[in-house]
Amino acid sequence: MPIYLDHNATTPLDPRVLDAMLPYLTGPYGNASSVHRYGRAARDAIEAARVQVAELVGAEASEVTFTSGATESNNLALKGLTEGRVPTRVLYGATEHPAILEAAESLRPHGWGVETIAIDRAGIVDWPAFEAQLARGPVRVAALMLANNETGVIQDCARAARLVHDAGGLLHVDAVQAGGKLAFSFAATGADLMGLSAHKLYGPKGVGALIVKSHVELLTQLHGGGQERGLRGGTENLAAIVGFGAACELAAAEVGQRIDRWTVLRARLEAGLRALPGITIFGDGSPRLANTVQCGVAGWEGEALLMALDRKGIAVSSGSACASGTGEPSHVLIGMGCERDTAFSAIRISLGVATTETEIDRFLAVLADLRAQAVAA
Amino acid sequence: MTETDDGNAFGYAPEIWRLFRNAPNAGAFPDGTPGVVSAEAGTPAARSVLRLALRFDGARVIDGRFQAYGCPASIAVGAWIAGWASGRHVDELRLLKAAHLREALEIPEDRAHCALLGEDALRAVLSRHQEQRA
Amino acid sequence: MIYLDYAATTPIDEAVFEAMLPYLKPDGLHGNPASTHGPGFKARAAVETARQQVAALIGAEASEIIWTSGATESNNLAIKGALEFRGFPKNGKPVHIVTSKTEHKCVLDTCRQLETLGARVSYLKPDGQGRVTAEAVLAAITPDTVLVSLMWVNNEIGTVNDIEQLAPRLRERGVMLHVDAAQAAGKLAIDLKTVAVDLLSVSAHKLYGPKGVGALYVRRKPRARLSPQMHGGGHEQGMRSGTLATHQVVGMGAACALAAARFDADVAHWRGLRDALWARLQTIPGVLRNGPTDGDRAAPHLLNLSFPGVEGESLRASLGGIAVSSGSACSSATAEPSYVLRALGRDDETANASLRFSFGRRTTAAEIEQVADTVIAQVAWLRELSPLPRNG
Repeated sequence: MPIYLDHNATTPLDPRVLDAMLPYLTGPYGNASSVHRYGRAARDAIEAARVQVAELVGAEASEVTFTSGATESNNLALKGLTEGRVPTRVLYGATEHPAILEAAESLRPHGWGVETIAIDRAGIVDWPAFEAQLARGPVRVAALMLANNETGVIQDCARAARLVHDAGGLLHVDAVQAGGKLAFSFAATGADLMGLSAHKLYGPKGVGALIVKSHVELLTQLHGGGQERGLRGGTENLAAIVGFGAACELAAAEVGQRIDRWTVLRARLEAGLRALPGITIFGDGSPRLANTVQCGVAGWEGEALLMALDRKGIAVSSGSACASGTGEPSHVLIGMGCERDTAFSAIRISLGVATTETEIDRFLAVLADLRAQAVAA
Repeated sequence: MTETDDGNAFGYAPEIWRLFRNAPNAGAFPDGTPGVVSAEAGTPAARSVLRLALRFDGARVIDGRFQAYGCPASIAVGAWIAGWASGRHVDELRLLKAAHLREALEIPEDRAHCALLGEDALRAVLSRHQEQRA
Repeated sequence: MIYLDYAATTPIDEAVFEAMLPYLKPDGLHGNPASTHGPGFKARAAVETARQQVAALIGAEASEIIWTSGATESNNLAIKGALEFRGFPKNGKPVHIVTSKTEHKCVLDTCRQLETLGARVSYLKPDGQGRVTAEAVLAAITPDTVLVSLMWVNNEIGTVNDIEQLAPRLRERGVMLHVDAAQAAGKLAIDLKTVAVDLLSVSAHKLYGPKGVGALYVRRKPRARLSPQMHGGGHEQGMRSGTLATHQVVGMGAACALAAARFDADVAHWRGLRDALWARLQTIPGVLRNGPTDGDRAAPHLLNLSFPGVEGESLRASLGGIAVSSGSACSSATAEPSYVLRALGRDDETANASLRFSFGRRTTAAEIEQVADTVIAQVAWLRELSPLPRNG
């Protein structure tokens, strides 16, 4: 019986989300831009979903732009804010997702100063360093994720927003991992832009959103068709958008219960992990998402461990799915100041809404087993 | 076909849709009919042309006809005026403004010019009627 | 309702839906295709099978297929990516693109965007049938031309451009060729092994697949080079980062496989419906057919006609339960007359009084007859209502 403990990589569809999507996968099939009745039905469904997404994060529906996913949202944020402007600086946290990292770095050849924001060993922004960094010159945008996909560490984005705004810049918050796992609001984070992804919160793959405060000027990156009020061209992915809306509505209603369950399950998991010699839990002392544990097992290579676990029918990951297989250690952990060896040993366990105690216990038993074998060998 | 399918796939206001589909009073009076005054407003380039023909007995309209080229709202306006005018005195007709048409037919903001078209056509007919009586 | 707007979008075919469903259900096949564990590997395998299926439809290798979120993105990626790889605009070298006035909005808007950055773009006017000939393209080539972007089939009027003629001649001149094949895939035989196209865009929701997914063909021999437009985890050989939506990709693969299997039957069916509808509607006095009249140079699945003397909105409204479109769906909302029809030389009023009928696998001959009856009756009715001189 396979055990899936990689929910930060992707989540299965909630059956209620699938139900919401089915009519749009099998039924009326209007292109939302068409003016006839089928087109208008499509348009109505999209606008209803937009409200659902907005309500999850406490934004206005008019601030929500649908995209094809988190990668696109993050690209749109950074490129849309910098295109055509006189280059200054773009800053991003050392532990950001590759989509932010690569999108930011892609601006370097266009004359932008691209710098990382120092993150301390606890996975938190090095505030004094950040303040000094902001003071060194103009900043167009800083990108800081609300919750880290590997360690689960939660950033104080509101504090970052105050500093960035004082320095005349904008703050983009990647809230992809926080959505559905943490109660937060767009306004309270102080963010000017925020990225979300459906498939991290029991919605379908292939759709995400960028929340943009109305005063922010953003240049579209996908030209043609004028959809999403000119911010994102291309026929709207109707079924996926409907699914995304449904998933957000469920997340809003259930996030409290989810956190409660995960708190208990993770306590059990971590108790078991700490019993194993040589375990480090990354970001341990910092506020973290209730479902995430990234740990290093001394003496192991994380990739090898995860393959061994996979052979036993247990799916976890070592770092971001987006970066796996590159042979490099987690840049998140390196960014936190971990030694390469420790970073190489990391595995990430991320719980889901359906994860059970039995699964946790089985994982711990298998892990202990594998360690015992490794030591014996 | 769906339950309430009267063909109004684009969701026009009920009165506009009714007048558009039925087009009561469409057409023109036979040549030589006494008392007929007709006039046109609008241009093909503006995609609205309304020809209104009112049959007068003195200062009172006894029958009305319309012909229209334009969107459903334009056609509805023509049909409405041709029917409404029947039995009314010129003094009443002079009072009809675009705003009344917009209200009576629930003409949306972006079709406001159709109501103006109606007002213009009626005014043109009244003006010609006045000339003739002079 | 009778739906005759398949060129705008198609429903997901049942067989395609069945193929997608396992990847939507909560149990087991939901893995991230980039994850290195069982669920991830299963998802990955499905993605690669789908890639093969798309490649097979167009005569390509699987490694030449890049997944995107749709044809709009494919077109953006092809044009912007090709130019950026050549160093535009940073290296300051003059850059010239040749395209046509009748391309889809996403190509035109992308080109206009590049013009603001200093690219020079020639927008070629089509002939009276909507065709942009190879000769016309070649005549527009200059030493600075780096890219030609020309659609294979026009989405509004169904004109088929002679890509087979054009491609080798552009190859000789070292000019890259991008072809928007959104309306061509599944409707025309495409074999990229024998046609020297460098970049080709395909959309799933135009051929009974799901929305939200498309592909960009990127030739390997000789290698077409692009700079990615979506940065991140390096997916799709670094050309397009972002988690692949397994169910969507699987759906597109299944749709392409189905299109390949049904090709002859589909094309014959659509051509029959198109010709039957034209046979009836050509009896309307003054009716104009937009685009090519017949033969290989006309897409089998659509028919675009203008009805002079009738106002467009009233015409569409009067069709009641028949869904057609007046020009590209992407621009209907603005209510402007179709720029494609204007490029053909139609005046605004005529362009406005035009309808595009496009046929599907399920469209029946009986539906065509019913549509013809309705259109004939409504055109007559509206002309009767009109004070303008009869158009005959």
